[in-house]
Amino acid sequence: MGVSKMIQQEKLKILPPILREKERYISFRIISEETIVYSDLESSIWQTLLEFYGERGLSEMSMWLVKNLYNEVKKIGVIRCNNKSVSKVIAGLGLITRLGEGRVNFKIEKVSGTIRGLRL
Amino acid sequence: MKYFDLHIHSAFSGGQSSLEQLASTAKELGYSGICFAEYFQSEVQLKKLKEEITKVKDKINIEIYLGFEARNPKELSKLVERRRMFDILLVQGGDLGMNRIACETPEVDIITHPENNRTDSGLNHVLVKSAAKNNVAIEVNFREILLGTKRTRSMIMKNIAQSIKLAKKYHAPVILCSGAISHFELRDPMILTSMANQLGMELNEAENSISKVPERIIKQSEERKSDKWIMPGVVVK
Repeated sequence: MGVSKMIQQEKLKILPPILREKERYISFRIISEETIVYSDLESSIWQTLLEFYGERGLSEMSMWLVKNLYNEVKKIGVIRCNNKSVSKVIAGLGLITRLGEGRVNFKIEKVSGTIRGLRL
Repeated sequence: MKYFDLHIHSAFSGGQSSLEQLASTAKELGYSGICFAEYFQSEVQLKKLKEEITKVKDKINIEIYLGFEARNPKELSKLVERRRMFDILLVQGGDLGMNRIACETPEVDIITHPENNRTDSGLNHVLVKSAAKNNVAIEVNFREILLGTKRTRSMIMKNIAQSIKLAKKYHAPVILCSGAISHFELRDPMILTSMANQLGMELNEAENSISKVPERIIKQSEERKSDKWIMPGVVVK
């Protein structure tokens, strides 16, 4: 049996919709004069939210910064979380004051249940 | 929905950003109106500020109001005398005496950060009742939370949550403000409502605190400027 087949076999079967967690996508724009690199943004968001809500609090949010949707030129990004944690994530974003070397501000563009709904 | 931030300090009173920088960032963040809360020096300064605000208003399409923040009883009495010359009257809270005067003065619109530099919330049931009676809005200042770290921040948040709980019980108005002194400290209205939600307000209550409560304060201030206005509820026809 090939390795690729084994990996395919190890993949979990997708949960039925009723058992799946309801997701929300938050699109935001960073207001800053500097260019913001993805790694800076990711580490800053995780660090701030971990500091504010703690490991236990953050584990309940299912928070994830979607890497392939971050646009470095337009400074637009998308965060995924569950439907119960939207206001927690947004409040946490407001506590970020610096990214890299510059001061920043976050503008929340839209909250949607699907990536398509964000109309990026 | 229209959003307002009624507590912003510009470079005129110790802030770090100009009126124009603050106004353009506020517009970008989605605010319909903002108020520059300055410290009163003289009537000459007041006139100069009004001129500057008119210039910025014309350049950037956003409603700008002029407010003054009283830091002590003497300043407050000076501002009460000149109440019709500006839009919003704020009182810097924190000191128990000032908190009491602010809640008991009907001319005051907002009491800012009543928990400032305190270990308690700075407000009790008696003060909140009189704030509700005199229509003085209790401010939830985002800058206090933003600048605090770890232990201080948790204390501040506990105190703000306590004030919100009292305000809810006695139906006193609560207002959400950024308290920004720089355009980087201004925050999206959604961030302010989400933070208030974390502090014990329902999302619709939080939205009212950033849209309907400031709108009511602005409307009241416009009514107050008219010659026919005598006191709240009394108008000459």
